Order: sequence, then C-alpha cells, then structure tokens
Amino acid sequence: MSENYATVNPCSMCMPMGSVMAFKGIEGCMPIFHGSQGCSTYMRLHLAHHYREPVDIASSALSEKGAVYGGAANLKKGLLNVIQGYGPKVVGIATTCLAETIGDDVAQIVREFQQEEPSAREVAIISASTPSYSGSHEEGYNEALKAIVRTLAKRGRPNSRFNLVIGSIVSPAEVRQIKSMLNEWGCGYDYTLLPDISETFDAPLAADYPKIPEGGTPLAEIAEMANSRETLTVGGSVLVGGAGDYLEREFGVHHTRLPLPIGVELTDRFVGTLEEITGLGLPEKYERDRGRLLDAIIDCHKLVAGVRTAVFGDTDMVLGVAKLLCEMGMDPRVLATGSKNAEFIRWGEKMAPGSEVLSGVDFSDIHESVSRNDIDLLIGPFTGRQISKAENIPLLRVGLPNHDRFGASRQMVLGYEGATRLVDGIANFIVEMNERGG
Amino acid sequence: MGIIKTFEERAGHIKQKNGTDPVPLACNNESLAGAVSQRACVYSGARVVLNPLTDALHLVHGPIGCASYTWDIRGSSTSGPTLYKKSFSTDMTVADVIFGGEKKLAGAIRELAARYRPPAFFVYSTCIVGVIGDDLKAVCKSASEDLGMPVIPVISEGFRGNKNEGYKAACNALFELIGTRDYAPESPYSVNFLGEYNVAGDLWAIKPLFVEMGVEIIASFTGDSRVEEIQRAHKAKLNLVQCGGSMTYLAKKMEETYGIPYQRVSFFGIGEISSALRTTAEHFEDPEMMERAEEIIARESARIAPEIERHRSRVAGKRAAIYMGGAAKAISLVRAFGEIGMDVVIIGTQTGSRDDYKKISYIVKEGTVIIDDANPLELKELLVKQGADLLVAGVKERFLAYKLGVAFCDFNHDRTATFEGFDGIVNFAREVDITINSPVWNLPIERVSGARMRTEVETEIGAEMRREQSSVIDAGGETVV
Repeated sequence: MSENYATVNPCSMCMPMGSVMAFKGIEGCMPIFHGSQGCSTYMRLHLAHHYREPVDIASSALSEKGAVYGGAANLKKGLLNVIQGYGPKVVGIATTCLAETIGDDVAQIVREFQQEEPSAREVAIISASTPSYSGSHEEGYNEALKAIVRTLAKRGRPNSRFNLVIGSIVSPAEVRQIKSMLNEWGCGYDYTLLPDISETFDAPLAADYPKIPEGGTPLAEIAEMANSRETLTVGGSVLVGGAGDYLEREFGVHHTRLPLPIGVELTDRFVGTLEEITGLGLPEKYERDRGRLLDAIIDCHKLVAGVRTAVFGDTDMVLGVAKLLCEMGMDPRVLATGSKNAEFIRWGEKMAPGSEVLSGVDFSDIHESVSRNDIDLLIGPFTGRQISKAENIPLLRVGLPNHDRFGASRQMVLGYEGATRLVDGIANFIVEMNERGG
Repeated sequence: MGIIKTFEERAGHIKQKNGTDPVPLACNNESLAGAVSQRACVYSGARVVLNPLTDALHLVHGPIGCASYTWDIRGSSTSGPTLYKKSFSTDMTVADVIFGGEKKLAGAIRELAARYRPPAFFVYSTCIVGVIGDDLKAVCKSASEDLGMPVIPVISEGFRGNKNEGYKAACNALFELIGTRDYAPESPYSVNFLGEYNVAGDLWAIKPLFVEMGVEIIASFTGDSRVEEIQRAHKAKLNLVQCGGSMTYLAKKMEETYGIPYQRVSFFGIGEISSALRTTAEHFEDPEMMERAEEIIARESARIAPEIERHRSRVAGKRAAIYMGGAAKAISLVRAFGEIGMDVVIIGTQTGSRDDYKKISYIVKEGTVIIDDANPLELKELLVKQGADLLVAGVKERFLAYKLGVAFCDFNHDRTATFEGFDGIVNFAREVDITINSPVWNLPIERVSGARMRTEVETEIGAEMRREQSSVIDAGGETVV
C-alpha cells in the first residue's frame, strides 16, 4: 500500500459524475453543473466514451468573478438558457467543489430564480449537493437519487404501487431487462423504476434526434413514490441515506435494500423479494432462465475452477461478481473499490470468504495486491488496463468506465440471463487465455 | 434573423461568409452559462499541453475527478518512458478543504519523488486550490529545494479564464525548464517543434523529413519529449510553431529571452508539410538544404499521389464541417479538404482569436458558416442546414454526428491514425473516404411495413426473389411460396 498522500491511477470518479446517471434517468431532464465549465465538458467526454452516445450536460460556467462574488447570477442565467434551449421538464443541478466551497446557497438561488422567471415555473428544478471532495461517483449517484425524490415525491392518497430504486449505476440494457421481467411478471403498471436510463443512454437511431433523449422515469410516477406500498432498492447496498431511506423516513414507505442481483443466490433473493411484494410467482420463463444459468455454470466448472481473480470497480458490482465467481468455483482473491466504505469490507469478506478486500484504494494499491496474490484474471472497468498490460493478465471489462471496448451500454450481468452471459463470457475469456498460453 | 435559432448572446459568434470582407466574429470570451459549450477549463488547457512530456510526473492537486477524467487523455505516443500515462492526484477530501491541502501536497511530492524518481514534476492547481488559498508556489519551491529537482507549479485553477489561459500556464511552466541545461547542437541547423503533440505518432512521421534535410530537432513541445530535451531547447536556432493557439505565447517568450526566431507552420496536408520544409530551408538560407527539400517534396508527393487520387475520386464534391479546439488545425483542414476535392461548409473552433477568424474567413468559400465556441444545439442545426456529409471534430461531437447520420472523422486526442506528414494525409483521406462512403448511412432508418413491401416497395432482395420465382415458373416448375 502506498502512503496516504498521493493517489496513483484512481479507481473512482467524483460525485457530480454520479449525479448524471440519476438525472438522466428522469423523463425530460437536463443536468447542469454549478461550477466551472471544465467539469461538464470532461464528464461529457468521459460518458460519451463509455455509452457512445451524445451526452449533454450544461454548466453555470463560473468564472473568477463568480468565484469571488458568488455564482448566483451565473446559475440563474444557466438555468434560464437550459430551459429556453432544451425545453426540459426537469433540470437537475449538481454542485461541484467550486460552488460548494464558495458557499453558494443553491436552494435559495433556485427559489429566487423561480420567482423571478414566471416562464420557468412549469419546470421542476432539483438540486443535489455533490462536492467532488466529499465522496465518489457512487455517493453522487446516491445523493442525486435522494434529491430527486426529495423534490418531486409528493404526499397524497396511498396507492398500490411499489418503488424499485436502482441503487447502483448499471447499464441501460440491464434496466431494460429488469423492466421486461417486471412487465412479464404481471405488474406492469404497479411499479415505478427510478432512475430509468434504459433509453436515455442507449437511444435507438431514429429519423428525428430529440434535444433530450426520450425515456426516463415519468414525473407523475416519481411524485407518487411517496404514496407507494413499499420501496425496494437493488444495488447501493453498502451506501446509506439514499432515495429509499428518504421515502421511508419522510413518508413511512417501507424500505428493503438488496445487493445487485448478480449470480444465482443474489438473483434468487431479488426474485423472492419481488414475489413477496407482488404476491405473484416468478414467470415460468425466468424459472427456465435460472435453470439455464445453473446449466451454464456446470458446463464450465472444471475450466474455471480455482482461477485466481481480482475484481474491482463500483462496490455492489464487485460484491455481486465476486459472489457469482464463488458460485462457479472460481477463486476471487482480491475485491477492491475506490470508494471509502467500511461496509464494503464487511460484505466483501462475507461474499468471498478468505479474499483480500480493499476499499478506498487506487490502482497502484490494487496492482500490488494483484502481484501479491498471484492473480490470473482481472474483472473490472477499463481503467485497470495498465495492470493488465504490466502483468500480462487479461482484463474482462465490466462496469463504468469502459472506453476501449464496444457495447458498454448493452452489457448485462444482472439477473439469471445476465449472469449466464457473464459466465459464458468468463469461460470463453479463460479459453482464449489458455489457447494463448497466458 | 441569424443563420440559425440560438441564444441572443450567441448570435455574434455565428456568421456566414458573404462577400470579400473579413467576417467579424465575437470570440475569446467566457462561455455562456447553460449553453453547453464544448470547451473545457484552464486546468484542461494546461494538462493537454504538458501531458505528452513522457518522463515528467504530472501531479494534480485537487479532488479526484480532475485526475480521473484526464488520465492518459491525449493519444500522445511515447518512444520510451510511460510515466505520463499514470494519473497522480492528491485526492483532496473534506478535511483538506477545511484545514488546507499544503501538507498533503508536500507529502505527495516527497512520496512520489522517492517512488518514481522523475526528472521533474508538474504540479497543477485546480479550482478548489484557488478558493481555499493553498500556496502551490511555495510548496513547489520548498519541495524543489529539498529534492534538488524541478518541481514546477502550473497555476491552472479551472475557473480563472478559458482553455487559452491554461495554454499560457503550461507555457509558463515549460519556460521555467528551458535554459536549465547546457547543450551543443550537432548540426548548425537546429529547431524545436512547438505545438506538436505526437498524437498517434505524428511526430515520427515528420521528424525523418527534417533529419533528411540536415535539420536537428532538439525538442518537440511536447510530444514524445523528455524533460532534458525541454531544458536544452534554448539552444535551437529556430522554433517551428504548429499549434499556434497553445504555443505562440511560448515562441514569443523564447524569442525575447533567447533570441530564437519562430515561424508558423503546419505538418498536416501536402501543401502545408511541403511549405513547412521549404520555410525551414529558406530560413537557414542553405541552398543545399533548399534543394533537398524540393527533392523530398517531389519524391513524397509522387509516392502518395495514386493513393490520394483514389480517395479523392470517391469523396470529391462532398461537404465537410470542421469543429476544432484550436484554429491552426482548423485552417490546415480547410486546405487539406481542398487537396481531396471537398468543400468546407461549416468551420468552428473552441478558442480561436479575432485574427484566427479573420484568416479563416479569407480562406473559406462563400456561404461557409463560421462559428466560435459552438454548442450541440447549434452544431446540430448547422449540420442539417448546411447539408454536411462529414464532421471533423472530437469525441463529444462524434455521437451527435452519428445520430444525425453524418459521417465523422476524429481529429482530436483520441484518433489512432497518424495524420501528419505525407503518409498522414493518405491516412486522413482514407478515413474520410471510408466513413463517407460507408454503406451504414444507406441503411433504412424506417422499416418498410409488410403491407407496403408487398404492394409498393421493391427491395433488392425482393426483386431477386421474384426473379428466381419467375424463372422457376418459366422453367415450367411449380411455384413455391
């Protein structure tokens, strides 16, 4: 482990980055960063690389004047221009370290703006406090989800719906998969899924290209989240204080939290919980998918047996993948995340007993751990590629960011079908490793 | 009424060439809040200029994001050291913001110096550093004294201006290194390349041409360069400035201090690279070198002519849109498109100056739209309105073009093909050709419904099937449906 002063090759991103995946999962939402112009441009670039989609994020473009005298004028101007330029239903403001440190009261600025601009009153404005130095992109995502329900969920008559909060950043294809599962379940109109990035970050090519991508959780549904029967959050299981907790505390909506459904047991838990919530059994099709997953795992069990693997990236993704590797008879030796999180360590040791679990680390720490543990396979974002190159260990790209392979938007590791794809993917990866004598 | 619908404040930034007068364009001011500018920040400007220095240690003093998003961001290649491909950050946390980050920064420099033993540090300040008031210069000075190596502060707080300010900060940092090492050039004709970043190995396509003329390249700023080369760059007899936006400032400083004259050149395009070679030979007033330059130009141009002609015949008459970071590249592109027979219908930059736009307005054709600091909404409208077949820009713009069904060529940090030199222009023509003439643009966006397919629309496969069917019937066989 390096000392605590310098980070070498970061394994995490900053809070505002996470807010984008939350905001862009709402219908008609345009995000704006309150800070200097670079934050928005850099994160747009980062996400465009990953999703291979245009990603528009506005900025209040704070300058020296703004930093000295406060950024209210810039933020108001920015909000007005975003509303006039993009015609959004919602604007999601995420603060950057600059705005937070100069002490701008964003809530107050928004109130003033809404009074001063009658034309903008139809537009909902959400603000999330996401100073980059307070946490990673995972915390930023969590914080923005909370800000969304805090702003939009309204107490009303109790309804019979349930809320499904996607508590970790997953791919658009995975959200599509969860939706189609629920629709086939027979509860098509009984749930609200937040955030829904299934279309917004993976838009089909069409004759008309809208300013704001179509899709996202409808606003009316978010408003009703305060009155739902209960909330189930999948993912973000080691984070605290998300949207589900907020709804429980403020509106008494019962909240259950589950890890991301990756692999047999964790998907069983997810599916079982849904059965309890809906009172309906898992559709036969998915029972058969489950059987196929078991079949796939058994097919390759000798090939993958004991393969020493390091898994890194976002907390829940790492925990779930490690769990699946254990189910396959592989040997997840190293579990690592860039976020500082004690719960991750606790859960990591539970998911993959005997492994080395690291939190708040950079790729230099992970590299040392990989060398120490005689690792054969790396699983995680493309940012681990320098370790892969230096040690000649193949890297199977899973999670955000993935800039150097195609199809990040279509990656699937969740649910029985996702796990089956991952199992086949890992097995074929190992076959190729063996064929190359690696 | 403007050319397209946009924000009131933006109207002066978009003009159409109409007549012979230069187009007066509003430029080089702060980006409009909420307009989704494609520009980055001061730090980013400094980072992209300095990062290609391969053996330096680039340490970002700030929260983790600034380092995460700029990690190995530029596709600058190296012939040796790889330290520049690592991302170093002080990863400032709440405690650092409250109590100050100077101690952490000093510790980080100490720790990294012991671990990586770099010949020099560049320490970048980010937004937050400027607000909490960490004394970056003092920390660097004291570290430099302790370690006995250059630890150079790069004052690049993101909000203090636009990308141009970052270029300046980078030039100031480089200037601190220049002149700190003695050197006796091997050739009487020695040059530095300024604003050559060795993206996709560009430098390696250029260098041999100059060497063949008898020119020694002391330092390339900053593509594939070493700290040592920068330190002795003051010994060159001439500075060749390619990316003027980022490096003219440094060229002027070197001229004032070391008396090194500079020439603006470009290594992209047949005409441009040829004139870069000629300019250099003429500068040194060496008849033999002039002769050699002409030989090289004639030989290389003839060598690539068939390939260029092949691509030219497939793209001539197509309409190109250009959106670049700096004006120098944009101007070279206009000429290069001329060489492959294409028309430029839109041209824009993030950071062009008044002079740049004047120059641009002289070289583009009537009707071309010139735009400063464009945003996605404007680009979208312009691409459609001007009927562009191709956009040349960076990754952020790539997917916008694709969504509109417009071909795309990456001319930014991320490209993987060498575009400079004689082979470079062939690569460029090839890339333009394969994207413009790809069958993907002809895929039907709207599917033909079953009913229409039976009655109205004759698809290729349908016609084929019908022909086969009728031939079966003609042959007296049975019709199989």
